[in-house]
Amino acid sequence: MKISFPYMGTVVIYKKLLELLGHEVIVPPRPSQKTIDLGVKHSPEFACFPFKVIMGSYIEACEMGADTIVTSGGHGPCRAGFYGEIHKRVLKNLGYDTEVIIIDSFNRNRKKVMENIMKLKGNNSWLKLSKAVKFTYDMIQEIDKFDKKIREIKPYEVKPGSVDRAWEKIQKEFDNAYSKRELKKAVKRSNEIINSLEISRIDERDRIRIGIVGEIYVVMESSINMEIEKVLGELGCEVERGHYLSEWVDFNLVPSFLKKSHEEEIIKKGEKYIEIIIGGHAKQTVGGIVDFKDRGFDGIIHLMPFACLPELVTQSIIPKISKEHDIPILSLSIDEQTGKANNLTRIEAFIDLIRNKKLNKYSA
Amino acid sequence: MKIGVPKALLNFYYGPFWETFFEELGMEVVLSEDTNKEIIDAGVRESVPEICVPIKIFIGHVLNLLEKDVDYVFIPRMVSINEGEIFCPKFMGLPDMIRHGLEGLEDKVLTCHIKSESDDISDYSNYLSIGNTLGISKEKIKKAAKVAGEHWKKFRNYNKNGYTALESYNLVYGKGKLKGRNNRKKGIKIGLLGYVYNVYDSFVNMDILNKLKELNVEFITFDMIDEDELRNNIDDMDKVLFWTFSNKLLGAGYKFFRDMEVDGVIHITAFGCGPDSFLGKLLEIESDETQIPFMTLRIDEHTGENHLQTRIEAFVDMLKRKKLKAI
Repeated sequence: MKISFPYMGTVVIYKKLLELLGHEVIVPPRPSQKTIDLGVKHSPEFACFPFKVIMGSYIEACEMGADTIVTSGGHGPCRAGFYGEIHKRVLKNLGYDTEVIIIDSFNRNRKKVMENIMKLKGNNSWLKLSKAVKFTYDMIQEIDKFDKKIREIKPYEVKPGSVDRAWEKIQKEFDNAYSKRELKKAVKRSNEIINSLEISRIDERDRIRIGIVGEIYVVMESSINMEIEKVLGELGCEVERGHYLSEWVDFNLVPSFLKKSHEEEIIKKGEKYIEIIIGGHAKQTVGGIVDFKDRGFDGIIHLMPFACLPELVTQSIIPKISKEHDIPILSLSIDEQTGKANNLTRIEAFIDLIRNKKLNKYSA
Repeated sequence: MKIGVPKALLNFYYGPFWETFFEELGMEVVLSEDTNKEIIDAGVRESVPEICVPIKIFIGHVLNLLEKDVDYVFIPRMVSINEGEIFCPKFMGLPDMIRHGLEGLEDKVLTCHIKSESDDISDYSNYLSIGNTLGISKEKIKKAAKVAGEHWKKFRNYNKNGYTALESYNLVYGKGKLKGRNNRKKGIKIGLLGYVYNVYDSFVNMDILNKLKELNVEFITFDMIDEDELRNNIDDMDKVLFWTFSNKLLGAGYKFFRDMEVDGVIHITAFGCGPDSFLGKLLEIESDETQIPFMTLRIDEHTGENHLQTRIEAFVDMLKRKKLKAI
């Protein structure tokens, strides 16, 4: 079985899990203009942007010889839960003989979920499966710690680009780890890499910290969000995202009696503005803004795909949150038409505004 | 007390229920005006640019009601009317969006969660929160919901007998005339797919229903078909859509295509409608397989009327010619 998956964020993780189960893994290329063009061509015009990018990714993976694609399902009301069903039909129409395995929520269709898990499990024992899952779980936690660390020190790098290169190296370290011992070694090596970086420290007052919230795909996948974290880093801002794979796993896959996830608290903070779960990450977005403010962040960037259903509800409410919590928020919607220059200008202006606001606060 | 009910979104489906309900509670019901240029403009001004037209129109209607000095504006939170399915996020977050997005509405939004197992939303427990806000006893709510439910069923019966929702609305208030049944024309018949707020809002869709009538085209919409029948048509899918009304349209669409009882299908969709982007794809695939012509009409706040007229005429001409050839 030549298996592939949607490209989002740190793909090392999905690759690792499938490899540990003995599958041949085809990692789709990082989304490029070609991916987007392919996706746009074969998607419904008004489908959301992540749908189109993933569509393009799938086609590229199929061209590379993938015969199976694994992805997650969902139960709505956000469209993302139905992606797989439409992707499957489009691929079939294009003549690809690819099986799309959609892992749905366990409560919805127990039999089908088990069937799909059995397919992925193959001839491996349950023990091996659970070990593989545990190993990847530990790995996500570690990688995300470094991911956060990198964004924290990026604005203060002495040699331009050195932190980005360090991050590449760290990802490679993890990519080469296949056992518990190797994972430990990777963590140690990564720490060394970070420690060897030349960093200039600045006054606490001059730190600018930006939180990125919004729809998970455009927040996590740097290739389609103009590498916003890097851009902000170069503008001298520390960045933290509202979504990390490890947190997604904790919230969606780990039963709550085992571990209380941070996301639950965040959702509580958003209750005032959006009463019930309306799909996607609308509630997390609203709660995330309040949470970032509580933790002393200076500004928020809200990312959403063009015409994203849940995030449009959030976007309507954002002016009020911004006012009530006194925090600047910039809302950007992203799609295949996004002109990079236009958005960069807006981001730069936004950061200038935050810097001035801060300056006034201390000089007053 | 004056309760404002916006004549937009699902009011074209549940209006007779909500109006009767508030009247039974002894409230004065104030309806917004029919959608017009001012309403749309006001809605566009107050909403985020990317959101779909129906929501912009709804916001326009809410503003229209504010001008009429109502005490409350009724904005229900539609959660689910079928087990395992829900509404589009914008419906589920509608009261939040209005309350926090518009000035001066903080204490004027009258809302309730609507959860039900079928289209019949007359279970009184849905409306208890309204009783709390307005200080009305449970018994009264219970009674009003029952009366309203029966009224709504009458409306739906007309609707299911082949009258449009607008005709049914008039009939149930004793205004319209029953038409002579079975005056079957030899013309063509079209399956007209679209949510009630797109099909029946004659301003935003440039009065497409009358345009079709003028062209001597018979049409059938999803609300004229029995709920169970709609459901039967999508029963064989592995996974149905998440949104109840989208599933109804899909069921109707599959029925049109598979039963071969219509000559063509028109899908009216609003610019920026998320669920429709997937629904449309499913219908397209079905059209390819059954060879029944399919056209998507996308409407928005600045649709030009001529272009719509031309497209409809061309589509109808094409169907007529196709039918002639077949005979």
